[in-house]
Amino acid sequence: MTRRFVGRATALIAATAAAALVLTGCAASQSVASSNVGGDPVPGGTLRFAVLDAPANLDPHSGSSYPESLITSNISDKLVYQNPESGALEPWLATFWDVNESLTEFTFHLRNDVTFSDGTPLTADSVKENFDLLGFGNKELGVVPVSAYWGGYIGTEVIDPSTVKVTLDKPSAGFLQGLSMYFAGILGHSTLQLRKEDRALPQNIVATGPFVVTEHVYQEKTVLRKREGYNWAPASRGHNGDAYLDTVEVLVIPEAGVRTGALRSGEVDAILDVNTTDEAPLRAEGYEIVPQLIPGRDIAFDFKTDLFPTNERAVREAVKLGWSRDALAKTVLTDSYRPSSSVVSERVPGYADFSDQLVENQDEARRILDQAGWKEGPDGIRVNADGKPLTLSLLAINNLVINKPAFELIQQDLRDIGVDLQLQVLPIPDYQAASKLQGKWNVQVFNTSRSDVAVLEQTYSPLFTNGAAITSDNPVRQKAIDTFRAVNETLDPAKRAAAAAAAQDFVLNEEVLSVPVYNPAQVTAANPKVHNVGYEAQSRNVFYDTWIEQG
Amino acid sequence: MGRYILAKLGQSLFVVWAAYSLTFVLLYVLPYDTVDLMFDPSEAELVSDADKDAARAHYGLDQPVVVQYATRLFGALHGDFGHSVRTGENVWSMIFAVLPQTAILAGAALLLAVIVAFVIALSAAYTRSSWLSQAIASLPAAGVSVPVFLVGLAILQVFSFQLRWFPPIGNNGFASLVLPAVTLAIPVSAPIAQLLLKNIELGLNAPYVTVSVAKGASRLWVLVRDVLKNASLPALTIAGLTLGNLLAGAVIVETIFSRSGLGRLTETAVRTQDVMLVQAVVVFAAIVFVVVNFVVDIVYPLLDPRLRTRVLAGAAPAAG
Repeated sequence: MTRRFVGRATALIAATAAAALVLTGCAASQSVASSNVGGDPVPGGTLRFAVLDAPANLDPHSGSSYPESLITSNISDKLVYQNPESGALEPWLATFWDVNESLTEFTFHLRNDVTFSDGTPLTADSVKENFDLLGFGNKELGVVPVSAYWGGYIGTEVIDPSTVKVTLDKPSAGFLQGLSMYFAGILGHSTLQLRKEDRALPQNIVATGPFVVTEHVYQEKTVLRKREGYNWAPASRGHNGDAYLDTVEVLVIPEAGVRTGALRSGEVDAILDVNTTDEAPLRAEGYEIVPQLIPGRDIAFDFKTDLFPTNERAVREAVKLGWSRDALAKTVLTDSYRPSSSVVSERVPGYADFSDQLVENQDEARRILDQAGWKEGPDGIRVNADGKPLTLSLLAINNLVINKPAFELIQQDLRDIGVDLQLQVLPIPDYQAASKLQGKWNVQVFNTSRSDVAVLEQTYSPLFTNGAAITSDNPVRQKAIDTFRAVNETLDPAKRAAAAAAAQDFVLNEEVLSVPVYNPAQVTAANPKVHNVGYEAQSRNVFYDTWIEQG
Repeated sequence: MGRYILAKLGQSLFVVWAAYSLTFVLLYVLPYDTVDLMFDPSEAELVSDADKDAARAHYGLDQPVVVQYATRLFGALHGDFGHSVRTGENVWSMIFAVLPQTAILAGAALLLAVIVAFVIALSAAYTRSSWLSQAIASLPAAGVSVPVFLVGLAILQVFSFQLRWFPPIGNNGFASLVLPAVTLAIPVSAPIAQLLLKNIELGLNAPYVTVSVAKGASRLWVLVRDVLKNASLPALTIAGLTLGNLLAGAVIVETIFSRSGLGRLTETAVRTQDVMLVQAVVVFAAIVFVVVNFVVDIVYPLLDPRLRTRVLAGAAPAAG
């Protein structure tokens, strides 16, 4: 039996927004997305926007680095829109959808006025072609499926020219949100039949978004031009119709000091990747600092439970209690970032506040370690009955500038309670190589941006990534599978909130599989004449509502 | 002479082939997995092993090393060095797209460096005040000891952000070339100036100069007509060898001034383990090196009568 999830677009917005409000516990009140409200928007002009790293792969389905997904978020639309402020799912290319009771069949009813940038119309066939590539990949074309979000994809059926039905082999409440993510952009037929390497080339990308790429010089700039006749913006955006800006030049400026200097000298209008030390001075000089916390799994210490000594719960618990979040907030983070209060960001619908448990209590940590038989050794580092030291090896990526100072602070605090934390904070390729070494790292640190509690199943469930390395003989294995599965088995707001809270409690308190550290943020600094600097739900900059004072 | 040219040509080809093979081995031995690097670290955890295997097969990385080597060498012989795994573009066209930017930057910097070196060396040699002479003579040492990085940022701060004379970023036109070229010229000019100075000092004390002075020549006349002519030949040789220096400096300068170019392309390729691109860059560098040396080898006997006799006599020249 099919249950009509929500019938009409407006009703859907109201209902999902209300549901999200319940889920987030009113987390929506924090400042996100659009910034300054300064008069009536005027169309025209060019926004010069500087970023740290060069976008290389512009294929919306696979360009996964931050600058890449920033570009693709502006040129491609999705079936489902996630409201960046409330976290609610709203209509976009799909006007409404039906979901069956078991959350395995999703029927989407498409808008019929949408065209791709090459003039071809969006049809049910387009959606099927996209979904089959995302779900199955294509060996011949070298296209890899996006497994984590499309696990259990059985297929897409074209019901009529504007209706498609997706079937999955197991319930997936997170599927709808997955469709709103930056890699789920709907692409035109001419793009989808190309080999992977040709799909990355800007001239080959055909999508339905408010901007198109007109120029792309690798490592220098990517120029976006607004598309005339765009008329299918999500209803909750600032306006509908064409984007205000004529063009956006995304410029690559690798040096932080030069980025800030270029903003100050008027060479660029806005910059991303603002140095933490530059935030306060820029704000004082009148520049608009627009932060948005990245929703998903925070930067977190994921413990490997199959490896000594993190296989001991006492050790994991001591690491949770042994360091000061206040000191972290005061010395390393700026106001744009937050110390973690759960394993997921407060912006994820279903987030529950665990800040009462995530506190420093070194006395308690010492007591727990004493009780577990860890005695202080001659150099202050504890040893167990066998004389083995309490040394934890940690592997992390230095892709965020505050990672290293944050981890060093924790390292110092933990030393006070006799825990020796060895840090390896490496550039991406070295991290990738090092993470291959099985049984070497007690703690692995990275974040995942996805504004849905399903992110917990994809990271920690033994059936998926198994981030805590829960082995098959671990007595909690089945409970872990069931606890994480539960968040994906219901769309009922109250039930889902309960499942989400239980999953967070399982990770943080019951088994202490992870100790979250801080919620990373994207920070944009803009000239005051730039208005409505915006982000989509996963914190990629979107320029659709942005406008610049002219003259 | 024909045999000599053929031998030199053979040597050149060997060097290019060796560069290709060596990079292949190095890239294969590295503990990185190209396929892993195609995914963002937070996403890579979510891509199943089967999917990674499919991607590996697509790029031919699942083949035995020998087969990979043979296939790719065969492709390279036909000018096909493959596609960047990051951008999807043909690596050879990526190199040629940025080559002019770097060539212009390096050319301008070299010209500037030679001028600066001559000015420094001549002023130091000409001035009779010994403290001033020493002060000028110590400039090259100062030039090399300040990191290019700092010089670039300082120059940017003053001339771009404060005075706003030049744009801080980009590759557009002459104005955007000035600051990067100056930044790059400073470290490059230092060794040239030092060598010039040393040779001028030697020259000033040489017997032929004593003769000139005895004939009543002025200090400047002696410097320019006699000493400089002899002193500048080795200095120009050094300027030629500075090519490597220029390219290394380009990596930093192109990054600071946000210019696209060969240096930055290489840095990114290495950092992101874009194996096809790294290999193409190495082979390209080898070809440039080999061509320059080949030309020198061919031209030297034409200029130097002693070498010419040896070549014609069929003996291998002492220096390659």
